[in-house]
Amino acid sequence: MSRRLAVIPEECSGCGICELVCAIKHFGANNPKKAALRVVTTYPHPVMRMPVVCSQCRVPVCAQVCPVDALRWIDGVVQLDEKECVSCYKCVDACPFGAIYVHEDCEYPIKCDMCGGDPECVKKCPKGAIRLIPESALGESKRINNVLSYAQMKEIEYYEKGEKKTIQYAEIGKEEL
Amino acid sequence: MTIKSGYFKKHLHVDLTQGAAERLSLSDAFLEQWIGGRGFGAKMTWDNLRKHNFKIDPLGPENLLIIAPGPLTGAYLPSSGKNSFIAISPATGLYGDSSIGGAFGVELRQTGIDVLTVTGRAEELSVLFIDNGATSILAMPELEGKTCLEAEGMIKEKLGTHAVHVATIGVGGENLVKFACVNSDWGRNAGRTGIGAVMGSKNLKAIVVRGHKDLPVHDIASLVEENDKATKYMTEHKFFKMWQQEGLMNVIEYANEKGILPAYNFKDSVFAKHDRINGATMLDGYKIGDSACFSCPMCCSNICLVKNGKYAGTVVEGPEYESCAMLGSNLGVESFAAVLRANQLCDELGIDTISAGSVIAATIEGYERGIISLSDLDGREITWGDEDGIFELIRKIARREGIGDTLAGGALRIISRWPEMEKVVLHVKGLEQSAYDSRPSITMALAYATSDIGAHHARAWTIAKEMEQGESWSDDERVDHVIYHQKLRPLFDMLGVCRLPWIELGLSERHYENFYKFVTGHERTLEDLLKLSNDVYDLTRLINTRLGATGKDDTLPYKVWASPPLSGPTAGRVIDRDDFGRLLSLYYRKRGWSEDGLPPADVEAKFSD
Repeated sequence: MSRRLAVIPEECSGCGICELVCAIKHFGANNPKKAALRVVTTYPHPVMRMPVVCSQCRVPVCAQVCPVDALRWIDGVVQLDEKECVSCYKCVDACPFGAIYVHEDCEYPIKCDMCGGDPECVKKCPKGAIRLIPESALGESKRINNVLSYAQMKEIEYYEKGEKKTIQYAEIGKEEL
Repeated sequence: MTIKSGYFKKHLHVDLTQGAAERLSLSDAFLEQWIGGRGFGAKMTWDNLRKHNFKIDPLGPENLLIIAPGPLTGAYLPSSGKNSFIAISPATGLYGDSSIGGAFGVELRQTGIDVLTVTGRAEELSVLFIDNGATSILAMPELEGKTCLEAEGMIKEKLGTHAVHVATIGVGGENLVKFACVNSDWGRNAGRTGIGAVMGSKNLKAIVVRGHKDLPVHDIASLVEENDKATKYMTEHKFFKMWQQEGLMNVIEYANEKGILPAYNFKDSVFAKHDRINGATMLDGYKIGDSACFSCPMCCSNICLVKNGKYAGTVVEGPEYESCAMLGSNLGVESFAAVLRANQLCDELGIDTISAGSVIAATIEGYERGIISLSDLDGREITWGDEDGIFELIRKIARREGIGDTLAGGALRIISRWPEMEKVVLHVKGLEQSAYDSRPSITMALAYATSDIGAHHARAWTIAKEMEQGESWSDDERVDHVIYHQKLRPLFDMLGVCRLPWIELGLSERHYENFYKFVTGHERTLEDLLKLSNDVYDLTRLINTRLGATGKDDTLPYKVWASPPLSGPTAGRVIDRDDFGRLLSLYYRKRGWSEDGLPPADVEAKFSD
């Protein structure tokens, strides 16, 4: 089954280690601007640190606009064939997430290749803000968090005679077990 | 040739009076001797002083502002986002510097330079934009009176991009507040020694950088390997998670327990309501995210939000220990929300949280003692924990309104207006003292007294080890401990990296020898490097000597001698003048300085090539 990068922006500290290791792996360069992902930071409102990574879309808009068919979805990764690429950057423009990058030193657009299945950014992120998960697990944490957001973790909400009440969940302490 | 990589060997010099910029070359000999950061700063300050016959007005166009990352800034190793700002300090009139983390220095280097210097004065309020190889000076008078974040937003809009890093001053810098900071990446501040006022005096509101170049690294494979080792050590450390979660806020509890937390202008060294402003309180109700400097796994900075009450909606990157202690316990403020509000005000107005907290605390005590009158206070009383009154003073300082005009002049101006305040305001050489009480720690006292920039904790943070192990230290051990810190600390600032992995997690300083080697290709031992950082200490001493400082200035605030903490584990402790005098003499001797604290005559010749 295909696996994809999942980003947890609340965990991201904006340190940029993901950018560094990506650029070092692919270009041997100590240069975060040569990475196939970018941490975008906004402040003071909204407060956001968000690694923008390629989603490896099943219907890749980047590939659709490529005039020379250099981008193809193969085994869960939208792969750039540099032999075909003419560096027109139409893919960069077309990506709805801005997740393909350009650097003046690089002949071709910088496109995430998932490091052949073992992404450096995932391995080196000190906060676990970028993860590699099976496609079917995408959305899982959002689902559970969304459900949990209806109630405080340790409180149970209930209605009594039409009135909303909460009660603390009585945990079983270690001494009782 | 010994240096093989690690530098662009380029120095960008900007003369704002002439509106001209030139790229100069840096020689291998210069790079090898001064390394970067504070090293470049000391040497370039010295050269500029000689050029001007040692007559420099800190707020005059001739004061050279030096913005210096180091050869390791931006390299793949733990916490490499450091960058120093150096100039003659408006607060002390002596050598001054302050460093920031974040990523400004990384981006500055990526424009292809190792150091930026700025001299002169622009005709109109201006922004210096370094865009890879191109440099422009943009007049932006519309930035006048704007807060740091407003200015940053307006600049990004004008340039049509968010992908730049900005170092800007606020109203405080424009108004030449002697403890004005330079703000970058929202929560990063070069806070100490008034560098923001130097920028203000040059009509320079901001420096904007956009750089795409590879940072030169000699042996990237070995650098990655060394970093993997260092990172593994750090992430497996028992306190690593705590650092990610609380960052420097964990120190509040520690300092209170040890009796070194300033409370009520250092009247006390414990704070009854410490649990309302500590790390646990932050985690419980305020923290909404982590923030890290470039390439740092520790992410010691916190993003905090006030969710309800009077200050709801206040959001800051911070606080860390210093800001929280100086704006919290030291002012008798018992609400974490109010600390956040004060921190946000200082950041946006562009004034140092440490000095602001210090002078406001002194004001409150001065009024309490009757030294400062109600009319001096513009008719508005102020007392401990008076949140609105404190916020009002922060604003008045930044705007130089009423009493704020005096307070904006820092400790020395306060004492010149009210001489009795000498006993109230805590400073060394004109720099207000940081939030570590030195009364129970004679090494910390010696570190404050002999610091080149004044009473700043990070020059040599010896207090923790002394509190833990130092009761039975001999004089030799005490002085050696201070000197070792004063040798190692500048090295971090010269290399352009943060000290926290070393001082807080115990990452061996030997790693830095290797980091330096793999980045520059130049093999040197840690001992070789420490000799160079010691040269920097000698040189800043020489600079200060030539600017009129003497051994008599290596002294301590009145309270440290004569006014002990009232309660807690350090109650009754003061520094004995004889003990201190004995240590100071030994310190001079070990440094090879004269009995009056003057560096040897050959130092001047050695550094005046």
